[in-house]
Amino acid sequence: MKRFLGAHSLPNTIKESRLLYLAAAFLFFYALILTLAPAVRVHSFETTLNWQHWVGVGVWAVGVVWVRRTLQVWLGEHDPYFLPVAALLSGWGLLTIWRLDTVLGWRQTFWLGLGWLILGLGARWPEVLLWLRRYKYLWLVLGLLLVALTLFFGTYPGGEGPGLWLGCCGLYFQPAEPLKILLLIYLAAYLAERIPFSLSLASLIAPTLVVIGVTIALLVIQRDLGTASLLFMLYALVLYLATGRRRVLLLTAGGLLLAAWIGNTMFILIHQRLLAWWQPWSQADGVGYQIIQSLIAIAEGGLFGTGPGLGSPGLVPVAHSDFITVAIAEETGLVGLGGLLGLVGVLFLRSMIVAIRAPNLYRRLLAAGLGIYLGGQSVLIIGGNLRLFPLTGVTLPFVSYGGSSLVVSFAALLLLLRMSASEETPPVSLANEAPFQVLGGGFLAVLALLAGLGGWWGIVRSEALRSRPDNLRWVVAERFVQRGRLLDRQEQVLVQSEGRPGSYRRVTLYPPLASTLGFIHPRFGKAGLEAGLDSYLRGLAGQPAWEILLARLLFAQPPQGLDVRLTLSLDIQRVADAAMEGEQGALILLNAQNGEILAMASQPTFDPNRLDEAWEEWKTDPHSPLLNRVTQGQYPPGTALTPFLWATQSMPTEQWGHFPQSLVLQTAGGRLPCANVPSLPITWESAAQAGCPWVTVALAQNLGKERLEALWPALGFGTLVNLPLPMGGIAVPPPEASLETLLTGESTWYLSPLQMAQAIAILQQGQRPDIHLVNAIRVPVQGWVVLSVDPPAEVEIAGRTPDRLADWARGDLPIWMAFGRGQNGQKTVLWVLAGTVPDWQGSPLVLVLALESGTAEQGEQIARAVLQAALR
Amino acid sequence: MITGILVLVLRILLAVALYAFLGWALWVLWRELNLHLQQVSREQVPPIVLEVVSEQESEERRYQFNEREVLLGRHPSCQIVLNDETVSTRHARLRYRDHQWWVEDLHSTNGTFLNDERVMTPTVVVSGDIVRCGQALLRIQIQSQE
Repeated sequence: MKRFLGAHSLPNTIKESRLLYLAAAFLFFYALILTLAPAVRVHSFETTLNWQHWVGVGVWAVGVVWVRRTLQVWLGEHDPYFLPVAALLSGWGLLTIWRLDTVLGWRQTFWLGLGWLILGLGARWPEVLLWLRRYKYLWLVLGLLLVALTLFFGTYPGGEGPGLWLGCCGLYFQPAEPLKILLLIYLAAYLAERIPFSLSLASLIAPTLVVIGVTIALLVIQRDLGTASLLFMLYALVLYLATGRRRVLLLTAGGLLLAAWIGNTMFILIHQRLLAWWQPWSQADGVGYQIIQSLIAIAEGGLFGTGPGLGSPGLVPVAHSDFITVAIAEETGLVGLGGLLGLVGVLFLRSMIVAIRAPNLYRRLLAAGLGIYLGGQSVLIIGGNLRLFPLTGVTLPFVSYGGSSLVVSFAALLLLLRMSASEETPPVSLANEAPFQVLGGGFLAVLALLAGLGGWWGIVRSEALRSRPDNLRWVVAERFVQRGRLLDRQEQVLVQSEGRPGSYRRVTLYPPLASTLGFIHPRFGKAGLEAGLDSYLRGLAGQPAWEILLARLLFAQPPQGLDVRLTLSLDIQRVADAAMEGEQGALILLNAQNGEILAMASQPTFDPNRLDEAWEEWKTDPHSPLLNRVTQGQYPPGTALTPFLWATQSMPTEQWGHFPQSLVLQTAGGRLPCANVPSLPITWESAAQAGCPWVTVALAQNLGKERLEALWPALGFGTLVNLPLPMGGIAVPPPEASLETLLTGESTWYLSPLQMAQAIAILQQGQRPDIHLVNAIRVPVQGWVVLSVDPPAEVEIAGRTPDRLADWARGDLPIWMAFGRGQNGQKTVLWVLAGTVPDWQGSPLVLVLALESGTAEQGEQIARAVLQAALR
Repeated sequence: MITGILVLVLRILLAVALYAFLGWALWVLWRELNLHLQQVSREQVPPIVLEVVSEQESEERRYQFNEREVLLGRHPSCQIVLNDETVSTRHARLRYRDHQWWVEDLHSTNGTFLNDERVMTPTVVVSGDIVRCGQALLRIQIQSQE
C-alpha cells in the first residue's frame, strides 16, 4: 500500500497509467453490467444479452493505448491527469449513449475514434500553439463565418428544429462548438499582446467587446441561447483573469440579469425556459415536462442508482445529449453523480495549474480559458438538469452525444496537454493571484452545491417525485414483474397477468365486471380496483419492507405482486350481469351485516382487453361506459325514500288519516306517477311499496320536519363509503328543501346506488356495516391474510321498526321489495330496493337496483333473479 | 436472484473503481502540492559529478555541475560534449526534478542506457549508476546535500 501510494517518487507516466488502468476497470465493469442487464431484468440468464457496446469499449481501449504511447514519445512530460480523466468521461458517456440508443452508440463510437485520432496526430505537431496565436484573426473570422453559414444552410439532424448544424450525407457538425475554442484563442492572443501596454480597462476591452457582441448577436439570431450565454461568461471570466478587476464580474452579473430580463420580455423561447425553471410544477405537462422528468429520474436513482442498463432514463426527453447527466444519475445514483462532479473538478483544477505554470501570458489565458470552457459548460448543463440554472441546451463535454462537441472537447484537451508539456521555462510572474483563487474557489463551491442539490432531489424529495403520476416507470415494471391477480371469494380468477418476464400482459378474464375491476394500460393509466389496489397488486404494500428494498436494490424493480381476494361472488355476479344485459343502470348486492359486497354490476360497461381499439369510442360515448354507476352514479332518490319513511313511522296506520283517491302527485312541474302499479286492493302498504309520490309526501308529513332532518344523516347519506374505487359526491339534502321539491327534482340531491344500499342496510339492521370489497391478500410464506373489518356501528334512529319492511314480503322468497322513481328534468330513474325479511335466519342481504331505462316489471325480474341466486 | 446479486457485486466494483480513480488522483495531487511547497521552501540542487569513461578517449574526464539541467551530445552547445560517432547531436539530458536527478533520452539514434537498460521514459539516477550514450560511458556521482 505504501509503495502504491508513494506518490512523490512516481514519474508522471506511472501516475497516468495507473489512472488509465482504473478508468479501464471502471469501463470494463460498466460494459459487463450492461451486457448482463437484460438477465437481471428478467431474473434469468436465459435471455438475449447485450454485446454490441463492446465494440465501443474496443475503440476506446485501442485509442487510449495508441494516444498514450504517442503522448509519451512526443509530449514526454505532459500532465498525467488530463488523458485519464478525459478517457474516463468519454468512455462513460459512450457506454451511457450506447445503453440509451444503439444507433447513436455506433455513431458516437465513430466520433470517439475521430477524437482519439485528433489527439494522437495533434500531439506530433509542436508548433500548434504558436501557429494558432499567429493567425488569431483568421480563426475568429473563420469561426464566425461558419456560424453565419448556418443562417443560410443551417439544418437540424433530427428533423424539425433550430438550424444550428452544417452538413450533408448523414454527417453533421455544429459550428458553434469550434467557435468556443476559436474565440478563446483570439481572446488569449489579443489580451496577451495588449495587456502589457494598455492599462485602461475601456481601451483594452473595446475591440473585444465589438467581437463578442457580433458573435453573441449571431448566436441569438440563430436562437442558440445556450452557447451565447456560455460565450458571454467565458469572455467575462477570461477578461477577469487577464485584468484582475472585480468590476468585470459585477458588470457580467449585471449584464446577464439584464439579458435575462430583456429576453424574458422579448423572446418567447427564453420566457418559456425561465418559466420552466422557476415554476415547473404548475406546467408539468407543458414547458415543465422535461425538467420534471429529469428530476424524477434523479429521484429514481437515489443513492446507489438502479445500475447501468436497469433504469429507464429513456423516459427523459433527449437523454443522450442535454440530459445525459440525468441518465447517469438514474443508473449510477448520487454515487455516480458525485464521481462525475469530481472528475469535472479535477479537469478544471489541472487546467488552472497549467495556466499558473504557463511560461507566457498567452498560454496562461488560453489554458485558463479552456479550463473554464470545459468546467463551466459542464456546470451549466449539470446545473440545468438539477434545476439550479435554467436549461441552456449545451452539451456535457466528453460525455454527451454529438460529434462536434466530442471532437472540440478533444481539441481543447490537446491544447491543454501541449501546454502542460513545456515546463522548461519558468512560469511568467503572476501579478495578481486573486482571480485564480476566486475562480477556483467559486468553481469548487458550485460543484459542492450541485452535489448537495443532487442529494436534495435524489434522497430528500425522492419519494414525492417518484410517486408523481407523470412518473411512467410503472409501465416498465408491469412488463417485467408479474402483477398480482384479482380473485373472487371462491378464488376464481377475474384478472391476471399473462406471459413471461419482459412481456407480461394484463388480461381480464371476466370483462363484464370491468367498471369495478378497472384497467391498467401503458397509455390510459390505471382505473378502478387496478388503481385502488395498485400497491397490493404491485407488491409495494403488504410485504415486509426489506423485501421491497431488496427487489429495488438488486433488480431496480418492485417485488412480485400480491393476489387480492375480493368479497364478490363470481356466480352471483354472472347472474346479475346476465340480467342487466342491455339495460342501463347499476346493481349492488350487499351482506347487510358484515358489509361484504357480493355483486356489483354497472351497465353499459367496457372491455379492458380491447382498450387499444375502442378507447376513443368509450371515452366519447354519451352513455359513459367507463363510469362505475354503482359508486359514481348520481341518481335523484325520489320516491325511493319511501321505505325509510315507512319503517320509521311510530303511529299505527289507522291514525294516518284519509286515504286519497289519486296517488299521483300534481305539482307545478307536472304529474308525478307511481314507480310501479300498486297491487290490489290499494292500501297504504301497497301504495308505499309501489313508490307512489302522494304516499311519500304524506308519510313525510307524519314524521315532521325535525325527524326528517335527523333521519337523513343517520342513514349515512352524508358519509363517504370507503372503497378502493372512485366515488361520486356525497350530500345530505339542502335544509330548506321540501320533500316535494326533492321528488320533482327541483332541489338537487343525488345518491349513488352504493349509498342507497348502505342506507337500507342501516334501516334493516340498525347498524352501519363496514362496507368493503377486499377480503384477503396472499402474502408469500404466510398465505392468505384476511384484512380487518370494523365491527358494525350502532345507529340510533327514532321510531325504527324494520318489521314493517315485512309488509312488502314476496311470498315465494324470504325477501321484501319496494319501488321508487326519481326524476330530474327529463331524466328519470327507477329504483328497486330489496332485502331479506327480518326473520330470515341466514345472512341478511340488501339489493339496490337503479335503472335508467326499463319498467318496474323488468326491474323486479332482475332483482328477483339476483336474490334467488344469492339465497340458493 | 443470482443475476441480481452478481450485478450488484459488479456495481459495487464499478463504484470502487470510480472512487479509486478519483481518490488516487486527489491523493497524488495533494502530495504533489506538498512537494511543490517543500521545493519552494528549499531550492537547492545537489551537485552532480559525471566521469566519462569512454574507451576511445585516453584520459578520463570529470565534470561537476550545479545547474538543474545537463545536456549530453556531440553538439558543442552541450554541457558535456561526447566526440563519438555513436552519439547523437543532442543525445540525452540529466535533469533535477522532484528532489531527484533524472536521465532522459532525447530521441537519440542509438539510445541511452542506464545500467544496460534502455531509457524509454525519464528515469531516476543515483550515485554509482552508469549511463551509456551510444558507446560513450559515464559514471554518475551525486554529492549529498549539506
